Amino acid sequence: MNKSFLLLFFKKEGLASFLRRPDPLWLAVPGLIFLALFFIYPVLKLLIISFQDPLSAAFSLAAYRRVFGATVYLGVLRTTFWMALQTTLWCLVLGYPLAYWLTCLKPRRRGRLILLVMLPFWTSALVKAFGWLVLLARYGLVAKLLALVSPGGRAPELLHGRGAVLMGMVHTMLPLAVLTMLPVMLQIDRTLPRAAETLGASGAQGFWRVFFHLSVPGITAAGLLVFIASLGFFITPALLGGPHETMIGQVILEQIQSVLDWQFGGALSAMLVVSAFAVSIAYDRLFGLSALSVSSTRQTQRGWLRRIGLSLLEAVAYVSTLLTEGLAFLLRGHRFGWLLGTYCVLLIGFLLIPTLLILPMAFTSGPFLEFPPPGLGLRWMAVYFGSPVWMAATWRSFGVAFVASLVTTLIAGTAAIAVVRSPNRWGRGVFTLFLAPMIVPSIVTAVGLFYLFAKLSLVATDLGLVIGHTVLALPLSFVALVAVLRGHDWGLDQAAATLGANRLRVMRFVTLPLVKGGLLAALLFAFIASFEELTVAIFISGGLKTTLPKQMWDDIVFAVNPTLAAASVVVLAVVGTLFLVAERLRK
Amino acid sequence: MINHMLTRRSALAVGGALLASPRIRRASAAATQITVADNGGPVGASFRDAFYDPFEKATGIKVVNITQNVDPVAAFRVMVETGSYTTDVALLTPGFVYRLTHPTNYLEALDLTPAQLPGMIPQMVTPNFMGTDVWTTVFAYRTDKFAQAGPESWADFWNVDKFPGRRGLYRSPGTNLEIALMADGVPYDKVYPLDVERAFASLDRIKPHIDVWWTSGAQSTQLLQSGEVDLLSIWSARAQVDIDGGTPARIVWNQNIASVDGWSIPKGSPRADISRQFVKFCAGAAQQAAYTTVMKNGPTNVDAYNAIPPERGRLLPTFPDNRRSMLLYDNEWWGANYAAIKQRFDAWLLA
Repeated sequence: MNKSFLLLFFKKEGLASFLRRPDPLWLAVPGLIFLALFFIYPVLKLLIISFQDPLSAAFSLAAYRRVFGATVYLGVLRTTFWMALQTTLWCLVLGYPLAYWLTCLKPRRRGRLILLVMLPFWTSALVKAFGWLVLLARYGLVAKLLALVSPGGRAPELLHGRGAVLMGMVHTMLPLAVLTMLPVMLQIDRTLPRAAETLGASGAQGFWRVFFHLSVPGITAAGLLVFIASLGFFITPALLGGPHETMIGQVILEQIQSVLDWQFGGALSAMLVVSAFAVSIAYDRLFGLSALSVSSTRQTQRGWLRRIGLSLLEAVAYVSTLLTEGLAFLLRGHRFGWLLGTYCVLLIGFLLIPTLLILPMAFTSGPFLEFPPPGLGLRWMAVYFGSPVWMAATWRSFGVAFVASLVTTLIAGTAAIAVVRSPNRWGRGVFTLFLAPMIVPSIVTAVGLFYLFAKLSLVATDLGLVIGHTVLALPLSFVALVAVLRGHDWGLDQAAATLGANRLRVMRFVTLPLVKGGLLAALLFAFIASFEELTVAIFISGGLKTTLPKQMWDDIVFAVNPTLAAASVVVLAVVGTLFLVAERLRK
Repeated sequence: MINHMLTRRSALAVGGALLASPRIRRASAAATQITVADNGGPVGASFRDAFYDPFEKATGIKVVNITQNVDPVAAFRVMVETGSYTTDVALLTPGFVYRLTHPTNYLEALDLTPAQLPGMIPQMVTPNFMGTDVWTTVFAYRTDKFAQAGPESWADFWNVDKFPGRRGLYRSPGTNLEIALMADGVPYDKVYPLDVERAFASLDRIKPHIDVWWTSGAQSTQLLQSGEVDLLSIWSARAQVDIDGGTPARIVWNQNIASVDGWSIPKGSPRADISRQFVKFCAGAAQQAAYTTVMKNGPTNVDAYNAIPPERGRLLPTFPDNRRSMLLYDNEWWGANYAAIKQRFDAWLLA
């Protein structure tokens, strides 16, 4: 090495240390500003409006008097919470065995099955609802089958009741529950239950006392996410339920879209936000939400509330142990290992039903969405691809999703680096803030943005859609990227730095190549989230900038024909392909 | 209200507006093109054939059509207030027109005289609105369920002993109060002003027998087509889609409740003159006859029936036979009372 090179080396070292000096938490600032402008401000503004008289802007409780004065809205609130709670419990009970089963599979097979679990999650809620409408109709397939076995030859009423709505909601939320529990379960050291058995525990005890116990953070996180998301449902209850299944999301949509009553819509949104936050905080106190952070450092904070939560879970585990052991004792000699597999295959089948129904309905030769279709043909595909309106919506969805996913990944990526690399104690607060859009039901965010954008002339612009989709896609993208970066070996970066590479060079030649797969996967997931997003699109697209899901929504109001199915087949194809690519990249 | 919001813009909002201003589509100086907001779907497609393409051919002015919100009022107000005219002509209902003229007027005068509009049904034109097509709420029933002597009036619809079967109604107070009054014996031309108490008392009687409260046009079509219900209130064009597709169903035109879609021009539009020319063009009998080939709504210009084959004409709301007991939905009454009655209706539905 000659002298001049050494000189250069030292100069670079000086630059590197200069670049390294600022706390990495600064990297979260652009993201924080973005969230402050387009999430915190609009949601707060909406809450403030709910306390203002629409004309004088003076303080007024009129909207809240209306909420609490008329029993109708309290009833709607009660229904909303009860339905969300039931959905959550069903999702956890049904989803846990499926998630467990998936962890037992080989990665390749698991990846494929996850795609099957996720496909219905990415299928438009409208399309799924119409799938169920067709299937569960009075003279539908299920009713006909039930009529064969029931004594009077009469099938029970399947639609337009609480059961149908609950099924629709569980069906929609189950993939989210499974996908939240899965990573936590995968982290569990599988030799631990075996170790417990060598120490004398029975199989059931080994499972419940060790595996189940370790998977609890996943269950609690899944429970919270499903509960919050369930609060904002409005399509499923409207189509599958009757008046008694009215949920608060429907009322908010109505108040804003047809009556344009910001004050009342704001008050209803406030109830939703406040209760969502209250539930989150109570939840965090009771069970802890460490699973959301996918953090390796387990919390050791031990309040009395947490102890109650833990003992609650202990009790569940204990009762389950007794039950399973009792069952094992009764059925001694019988092997039921195949039961889990069968159950999981059936459950995945249930998840796929409406999506699978859509395929033949998209290729029907008849004029209606019906199953089985009277004949097959490309008639509605031709309508879809020949319609400038549908094509414009499709291209807009691609464009918006492309930009939104880039922006999301950029913001989430820098913020993730900040949180992972900074030793600052504010890191935890920043972390929580980036998750906040997940804690506020998306309909509230959408209404808040609608109000803000109306003032900024951003309604009916592509930019408005991009911003809205970015806000909603941020939390999931952020969580995914934090996980990727936590898994990254930062020692390699340090090694490169000691060898003289500056920050940018380390980033470009060491960090990025190593996390590339995870980064691209996060990008694609953000793309998918934007591509199939409906709630923000309903409010922001203003009819001019219609995205594909919004076009499907409009189509429901004015017409229903198999074009809807044809369009959703296209959405499915796009989303499915991207998902496969993302899965491959993640490896 | 929006005015008020604009004056109270925070510094933050202004900053955002500056940031966003290049995105606003400004009106182009050369008016070789107008943008028309319609309801999309089959409406947009049939208007393209009947209005847009012929207008382009006749004048050389290009017509671009876009789909507007189900409720376009909010976006419309914002458009006028910010002066970003993304729409030159919009398809509205008298209810929207009422909200866009009370208390502040957001609409341009159309300057149309009856002499300029031969054949037009008089109620279909106001100073700032010209009806293009009439759609109506009727009831339809499955003919495989009621083979002989089906229900013929709303009173029959209410008569669950004589006509047992699963029933559906639209989940909205609008039209249901009118229906309830007619079912209770009020003649169709004495329905307004609505006797709200009597209407709810009448609704109380039918409520236990309503199996489905439908919420979207698509859903009503699907309910009738699949036989989920045996009789339901439905928009006539939507029921006709089912019948055309082979569903055994019949539309009962007696005591139907009609409303109208039509054109309005945003106040201050830089292309208002050409837009007026376009609106007038759409009043023509030939144009109005043309859209009925796809969409089964009724022309507002009765001369159009001269150009429509009678077998198709019979299916349309403004066909003379179908208009005999037609009630015109009173948007002014509803404009003044909607919010309060909507709340009462929701409470009633959930009680």
